[in-house]
Amino acid sequence: MVQGLMKQVREIAQDHQAHRVTCIRLSIGPFSGVVLDSFSFAFEVLKRDDELFSQSRLVIKTPAPVLKCPHCGHEVEVQGVVEGEMELFGTFSRAKCPSCDMYGLAPFGGDDILLLQVEME
Amino acid sequence: MCEKCGCQTGMGTKPKVIDVNKSLFEANEKIGEQNRHHVERMGAVAINMISSPGAGKTTLLEATADALKDSVTFGVIEGDIETEKDAQRIRAKGIPAVQLTTGGACHLDASLVHHGIHELEHIVPGGRLDIIFIENVGNLVCPAAFYLGEHKRIVMVSVPEGSDKPAKYPRAFIGSDLFVISKADLLPYFDFSVEEAISEARRLNPSIDVLIISPKSGQGMDKWLDYLSGILK
Repeated sequence: MVQGLMKQVREIAQDHQAHRVTCIRLSIGPFSGVVLDSFSFAFEVLKRDDELFSQSRLVIKTPAPVLKCPHCGHEVEVQGVVEGEMELFGTFSRAKCPSCDMYGLAPFGGDDILLLQVEME
Repeated sequence: MCEKCGCQTGMGTKPKVIDVNKSLFEANEKIGEQNRHHVERMGAVAINMISSPGAGKTTLLEATADALKDSVTFGVIEGDIETEKDAQRIRAKGIPAVQLTTGGACHLDASLVHHGIHELEHIVPGGRLDIIFIENVGNLVCPAAFYLGEHKRIVMVSVPEGSDKPAKYPRAFIGSDLFVISKADLLPYFDFSVEEAISEARRLNPSIDVLIISPKSGQGMDKWLDYLSGILK
């Protein structure tokens, strides 16, 4: 995944004749299955031997998980969850829908990883 | 840029800020769409099979080969980290099979499968098939994130693995069309709660179909074959 990211950013840097990438901004969805620590660690290891990335910072935004009620379509944003969202999800899914009082809230979206912005010199 | 105050002096080069807003999966998904069209040109539907190692994907395909040999033409793309073993098992049943070895990667991606489809097309007489099964690398985590161009995605859990797997590996269930509980002949010997497995899977994905099968005892195999003929209609 990180190698794929670096490949994509390298192409952007080449298009803009940049010789150094200073910052990469990403949004990692709570249901993407990505472990943030592992992702950042992989980047730190891979960037060491790479001139283009050796001084790059990774800034990761993690949107709140959204659950959707399959009965009435109501969407609930789950606040205050930073890490381990997927584990906690089991608990949330047993909660009642605040709109129609039925059980069975299911994850909605949040499974993507977006490259938002690249800063380079 | 000057790191202390942000003024644009110092190195003499201005930093460029490029807004991208692209999914990291985008490149894979584009190739996946091409795969889907390629499969359709061959007259086939593609089925991506995801499970842990040893859940019984290959065994199910062997049993499917025995049952459908004379009525449905199918081919198999096998994904493994190493060896041709699974492809050899399928070929022994008279079914064309291509082995993809990822050389370490824990999942198939659309680009690898693209090569697999070409290879399969090459070895099938006339290049036409009804179904292409893509047996993913045994792993319930990463394969779930990579669209391969499949028309249907199947997630399989075998009885010895335990009925907590849907709750523990949600993404594989969120993205699948069918949940197969395999090795059902072992249900009397394990504390596997069919009810827990199904209710957890449906909690994650209310529209997921469920089949309980055992290629060994034959249980549920009629329903599995019905499911396949339903896809072909």
